[in-house]
Amino acid sequence: MLYVKNLHKSYQVGKNKYEVLKGIDFHVGKGEFVAVMGPSGSGKTTLLNCISCYIPFDQGEITIGGARLAGQSESELAKLRNTQIGFVFQDFMLLDGLTIRENILVPRIVQGEVSEEAQELADKLTGLFGISHIVNKYPAEISGGEKQRAAVARSLINNPLIILADEPTGNLDSKSSRAVIESFGEARERMGATIFMVTHDSFAASFCDRVVLLKDGSIYRQLENNGERGSFHDKLLAAIKEMAE
Amino acid sequence: MEQIFTLKKMERKLQHADRKHARLYLFCNFTALMIISAYSGMMLSPTVQKAFPTGGDSRKQMNAIFMLTLIGCVVFTVYAASLFFRHKSGQLGILMALGASRRRLIPGLFREVLLLSGLSSVAGTLAGFPFIWVIWTGFRLIMIDSSDMKLSFDFRCLLISLAFLLVVVAFSCLTAWRYLRRTNIMEVIREEHINEPVKELGKWCAPVGGILIALGVLAGYFMPVIYMRKFNTLSPVWLSALYLPALAGLYMVMLHAVVHGFRSYKRNPYKNIIARSMMKFQGKQTVNNMIVVTLLIAGACFGIFYIPIISVGAMMGYDAQPFDYFYHCRADQAMPEKEDIDALAGEYGLSLKDWGEYDYITLGFGNYGDVMEEDGEHWHTEYAPISGEEMAISEEAWNRLTGEEIDVLPGTYLCITNREETSLYVNTNARHLTNMVTRTQLSTQCAGLLHYDLLGGDRQCRVLDQGDYEKLSEGLTDDWKGTLTAFNVEGEDSYPFANALFRRLIASNGEDCFTSKEYSRVTSILAREEGKEDWQERESERSFMYVDPKEADSIVFRQNWKYKPSFRILSQNDFLLSTSVFLMMFLFIFIVCILTALIICHTRCQTIALNNRYIFDDLKKLGASPAFLKREVDSQCGGVFKVPALVGMVAIYLIFILLLYGNDGRIAFSEVMALAVCLGIELVLGGLIYGVYRFTARGIRRKLGIGGN
Repeated sequence: MLYVKNLHKSYQVGKNKYEVLKGIDFHVGKGEFVAVMGPSGSGKTTLLNCISCYIPFDQGEITIGGARLAGQSESELAKLRNTQIGFVFQDFMLLDGLTIRENILVPRIVQGEVSEEAQELADKLTGLFGISHIVNKYPAEISGGEKQRAAVARSLINNPLIILADEPTGNLDSKSSRAVIESFGEARERMGATIFMVTHDSFAASFCDRVVLLKDGSIYRQLENNGERGSFHDKLLAAIKEMAE
Repeated sequence: MEQIFTLKKMERKLQHADRKHARLYLFCNFTALMIISAYSGMMLSPTVQKAFPTGGDSRKQMNAIFMLTLIGCVVFTVYAASLFFRHKSGQLGILMALGASRRRLIPGLFREVLLLSGLSSVAGTLAGFPFIWVIWTGFRLIMIDSSDMKLSFDFRCLLISLAFLLVVVAFSCLTAWRYLRRTNIMEVIREEHINEPVKELGKWCAPVGGILIALGVLAGYFMPVIYMRKFNTLSPVWLSALYLPALAGLYMVMLHAVVHGFRSYKRNPYKNIIARSMMKFQGKQTVNNMIVVTLLIAGACFGIFYIPIISVGAMMGYDAQPFDYFYHCRADQAMPEKEDIDALAGEYGLSLKDWGEYDYITLGFGNYGDVMEEDGEHWHTEYAPISGEEMAISEEAWNRLTGEEIDVLPGTYLCITNREETSLYVNTNARHLTNMVTRTQLSTQCAGLLHYDLLGGDRQCRVLDQGDYEKLSEGLTDDWKGTLTAFNVEGEDSYPFANALFRRLIASNGEDCFTSKEYSRVTSILAREEGKEDWQERESERSFMYVDPKEADSIVFRQNWKYKPSFRILSQNDFLLSTSVFLMMFLFIFIVCILTALIICHTRCQTIALNNRYIFDDLKKLGASPAFLKREVDSQCGGVFKVPALVGMVAIYLIFILLLYGNDGRIAFSEVMALAVCLGIELVLGGLIYGVYRFTARGIRRKLGIGGN
């Protein structure tokens, strides 16, 4: 589904060049729920932004559903973002001037038309994530958890190949965080969604099938969840502690 | 509720939701265009064009301040557009992140930009005309109404507004395109929250900036003069670039104000730290805005200073006039006799006293002049024995007129100047005096100066030895001879009498007497004799060389007529009338510049504070008292208002002192008085700016929900 090979990315700040990603290699299979964790500055968000074609990368290869990102034109990348990728941002990124239902349908509106099927899907998603009662409200009128669930619904409206989530629980309380993670679970189970999530939250990561630990721009280790969430959480905490030493 | 299912409808809904941000953009565009259209409308109106002499200092000042206002408005609209698009970029970024391509977004975005900038620009351009009308009518109702003050427009001024409108629209489209073509979508999304800190320089930048301002002004002002003297040719345009260090200096002073402030925080480094940080992190735009505001306030002062500079000296001069009535006329004209004037005075219940008539003659005088070289660019100075015409009186006439007892040596003359020796017309270089009828020529030289305001201002006159005077008078025809008449009235003077006598004098003069004080019959004769064209008769010059008696109330006639009388009561009462268009224009410039400056300051303060609303909210949560928050808001606004106001006003005051000194190498008493009035104006202006600052700070505190107003 998602292949990342020898990915390099650096930033130029004044005269200094900072290499943020130093040859990352990994893949995410169809229907997998994978998290990336690591300390601040390890390159998690940069990795995600490169995968989602929000920022250009220097070297390497990213393939989503067989399509290589490098060398694609701006409009091809836009189409890819629209149809193949669903994105969930830390600060929701809902448009303040639109209702929740309209926000969920934005990726379809951007395509040019909103079919009956899309509207039915929007209704199904709002029902699935427990936000049917707020579809006609505006972002300013609802809670952070509800906003993020709306954002998850938006990311699924085009049946994308993969959902990329950047710290989706970063701005939420524990109850809302759990609701958002559960909505990812619902999306995977009911719609077969593939999810790639960057997070600081080990509790959220413990729901994943696999966790990639990043340190200083390189993969430190990958941990597999063998089924029991609690023990995977403990394993994760131990690995994080080890990485910090 | 209507559901949005097309991109176009969605964009329309988002635009509706963004109307608060659009309102600021519309307001800034509207105001800038209104100001530009009003200024250009005024500047190019036939009324103003007629009153302001071509190539004159006043016209140059008007044009220079227009350029300044134009720059101010450009910065102003660019700033408004960048604010609008900074906000808009968040929306664009989200849509791009969700897969909207550039091609999909361009039509909607450009439609919005064109609609907003087009509508506001057209509305602003049209609003400029009622704006002029309101100020013009107000001026006529409250201050002065004269025949010169008929409002008329040359609608070619709209071309300037159109050019500006195109710049505004083009810039807006360019900004929109700049955001769309970015490859880093995250940057587009976060644009609104990105700070714009300035590069910090050390604390040396304020003093160095001050020195650069002084150097720039001095070099820009004096170097062209030095160049002309040194190379005997007009100074090249590039020499104006010597003013540029002043702009760099101004930037450094403003940078210092934004980054460090002018107070010492050594004892209490945390004082006003919030306001200082906010200023610093919004630094780039703040510094740019402050520079523009400084220039606009300087422009406003420059405009308003014109009024005291021309009026104080004139009013003091009228008060000090030794005679209520003083005029001169040629002997070949049918001038009213004493009996006629007596009778006229009687009609107004007045009687005359101190009547005196003094003969004068008009002679050709030698002088140095600039002679253009064959290359048409350089010149050299050359003495010509007959250069122009001037009046001369005998020592006997002088003694009778002034009550002094002077004795002019044969072969010499004494030049008459005004008491403050500010007259521009005194020619002490003449070594030859010529009877222009018989061509009798006398070698002579200047033996010194005499002081008499009524003969030493616009009238160019000198006193000759009695014998020389009689020798040069021999054979002169009546058109080269004339009489100076002076008298006072018993008791309180009457304006209607003065006005009636003025009209009588106009009626008594023949057609060939209606020339301007610049016109010289000697120049005309010399041109004829040398078979050259008399440049005074060129079509382009005629309007400056001749006056029309039918326009006796016009500025041009009252200021330029060669035989204009000096009637104290008429001058005092009609001073405003005869300078009304000048006063109106400079008052208008003042209003426009101040208005623009205050709007920029107000908008900038609002933006800084409201963009940082979350800081105030956080501070409230941390327990900051309303008094503390009030102090921070006041401090932040204070920097934006006070520093440019102070720098602009002080700089322009010093420049005015320099200009007055530069005129004749000294500052006369009337100029000191005018400067005192200017200082008073600056204090009032300072009060006005302070009032708007308080108003702005109060509004921001209200919006931020900070108590203790």
